[in-house]
Amino acid sequence: MTEPVEPDFDVIVIGAGIAGCVTAYQLAQQGRSVLLVERGEEPGSKNLSGGVLYSRGMEQVFPDFLTEAPVERRITRNYINFINGDSSVAVDYRDARLAEPVNAVTVLRAKLDPWLAAKCEEAGALIMPGVRVDRVLTEGTRVVGVQAGDDELRAHVVVAADGVNSFIAQDVGLRKKPPQHHLAVGVKAVVSLPRKTIEDRFTLTGDEGAAVAAVGDCTEGVGGGGFLYTNIDSLSIGIVVRLDDLTAKKKVVTDIFDHFLEHRFIAPYLEGGEMLEYGCHLVAEGGLDMVGDIVMDGMVVVGDAAGLTLNTGLTVRGMDLAVGSAVAAAEAVGAALDQKNTSRATLAAYREKLFASYVGKDMETYAKAPHFLETDRMYKEYGELLADVLYGAFNHDLKPREHLVKVARGSLAHSPLKIMQLVKDGIAGARAL
Amino acid sequence: MKIVVAYKWTRDPEEASARPDGTVDWSRAKPGLSTYDPVAIEVARQLAAETGAELIGVTVGDKGVGTPLACKAALGRGLDRVVTVEDGSLADAGRSELAAVLAEVIKHIGDVDLVVTGDSSMDVAAKMVPTVLAGELGWPAVAEVTSVTGKAGELRVGREIPGGAQVLEISGPAVLATSADAAAPRVPGMKDLLAAGKKPVEHLDLAALKVSPQNAVMTVTGRSLPERKVRKGQLIDTADPAQAADELLTALRQAGAL
Ligand SMILES: Cc1cc2nc3c(=O)[nH]c(=O)nc-3n(C[C@H](O)[C@H](O)[C@H](O)COP(=O)(O)OP(=O)(O)OC[C@H]3O[C@@H](n4cnc5c(N)ncnc54)[C@H](O)[C@@H]3O)c2cc1C
Repeated sequence: MTEPVEPDFDVIVIGAGIAGCVTAYQLAQQGRSVLLVERGEEPGSKNLSGGVLYSRGMEQVFPDFLTEAPVERRITRNYINFINGDSSVAVDYRDARLAEPVNAVTVLRAKLDPWLAAKCEEAGALIMPGVRVDRVLTEGTRVVGVQAGDDELRAHVVVAADGVNSFIAQDVGLRKKPPQHHLAVGVKAVVSLPRKTIEDRFTLTGDEGAAVAAVGDCTEGVGGGGFLYTNIDSLSIGIVVRLDDLTAKKKVVTDIFDHFLEHRFIAPYLEGGEMLEYGCHLVAEGGLDMVGDIVMDGMVVVGDAAGLTLNTGLTVRGMDLAVGSAVAAAEAVGAALDQKNTSRATLAAYREKLFASYVGKDMETYAKAPHFLETDRMYKEYGELLADVLYGAFNHDLKPREHLVKVARGSLAHSPLKIMQLVKDGIAGARAL
Repeated sequence: MKIVVAYKWTRDPEEASARPDGTVDWSRAKPGLSTYDPVAIEVARQLAAETGAELIGVTVGDKGVGTPLACKAALGRGLDRVVTVEDGSLADAGRSELAAVLAEVIKHIGDVDLVVTGDSSMDVAAKMVPTVLAGELGWPAVAEVTSVTGKAGELRVGREIPGGAQVLEISGPAVLATSADAAAPRVPGMKDLLAAGKKPVEHLDLAALKVSPQNAVMTVTGRSLPERKVRKGQLIDTADPAQAADELLTALRQAGAL
């Protein structure tokens, strides 16, 4: 490939979220000249995640991540809650093995992103906050730089890390506008509470943390779920609901969120707290289907921009996938720069590395999840069925007790669910999750 | 000609919250360039462009005001260089103390012909620093400045006064506080920010400046929130629009609003 004009930088990264920062950091560490452009006045000021980060990938990039970075709590308690109008059934999974080695931690993007950006700066990358890239510059089939306002800057490689909508990838035709059923919308708030109150309410000690996943009435039956995560002295609470289902059921996402906050099984956790942050954000939910073309001459796409998000029904994962894609991209871009050949063919090593890593493997493992999660029954009848079975077992109404199996059969007879559906969903769920 | 823009790198009160006892929680407020300072920089930049003057940014304050991020945010708006005094002891400094430090920095720079400031700072908004600074320097101070033309020793300054506007001619150095909308600040572009990273930044040591100590110590000993007005909750409920209007008028007259 010929590159007539000597570019301003080796690499220009668009977007200082997790994917962009981690890519920029590693390329700067390799000694490349890197420009990281971020439209926010400060990296992370508007970025939004629920807040559970599977941290092993981050530790590969920053060995002291857990002690140096602004992490909140180590998740040792996972609480899965089927919530109905006035009953709820939960699985409470606690395991000391989750604490050592650390598996997942809670983070607040408003703290994590500035920390990551500072790391990039230390490594020698140049950060430009407050600049929105309008489009990438192209020559023939090749991306050669970026344009913001009247200014143009050139690079051997452009990295699109501009998040879920990725107008950049859409603009150059790498991606189409995602269809509605590939998108969900998330609303999240951060509520402050004294550290001691949080530890008491969730029975935690030290830096242990809890992650509550809620399905059912918490989203008023719309496909999706709610979450409640503990930080040091605040809670992250939110919902993620499917955009197509929201439209179909004519519901407003903020109403559902209010319903969740006020729900009798959720409100007690929040009592006395003060709302510090509130935000809405799109979530990519297409799974593997959504990962399209992520490489072209002179450009790679990473993180949410590449469609790398997984919704397993109980968790939304995107941050660790952003890290994994950044690692794969930095390696491939570095090698291409060394070969002085940043064509699509050379940069294709990124895609190979990505699919050989945990990111690609997990995307493939959960490939059927989005379809499975579109089953309505997941969000209403199952929770009620579980509650009815347990009600039969615990409600001592002076009738002779029955075996649990019989109770379950009875409940199923009253439930709109049919045995065949249960079997079908069971098989589909086991395959997808 | 040398023009100094005194700017503030501080916290945004929109992200702060007042506690019931009147103290303020700033812990979530992010630092940034004070709202009106980009206006001051733009007014000064235009004058510097016309006169070929050197444009120097000066900021004094708590730890953080001299970070590369803070300096680049100011330099990207067109300053030629920046001089900072960054010292933890200035975190709680009063207006007169800050103005005294600024005056010493301006003397240190030497041969300054003009100091331009913003209308007021976003966190304190007392509008005092420019005036006290002018007093320290023995220069005239002008507030609500809408335009500056001319050159050193022959400045033409437009200002707003209650009920109208004036044009002043100033024959020597002066401190000018620009009005909130004196100019539309430019949003720095990539090339501006790229250049900003290469411009000189000078960090001065507070102790070396020999600022004379304040003669009196001022401490905040009490705080309170403004009293909440109790709403009357009066409801006008009638089907007849004319009658509703009558009742509304009577109610407003009784409340002394009309
Ligand atoms: C409600 C909700 C809950 C979630 N919960 C979790 C969770 O618990 N765990 C988890 O792992 N993941 C979670 N996710 C997913 C996770 O937030 C994303 O996968 C992650 O943020 C992806 O990082 P990214 O760097 O690719 O994109 P982003 O974080 O979106 O960063 C993109 C960056 O690019 C910038 N940008 C965009 N366009 C431009 C432009 N034109 N010019 C310059 N800059 C630009 C943006 O300002 C932003 O800083 C959640 C998402 C939502 C919405």
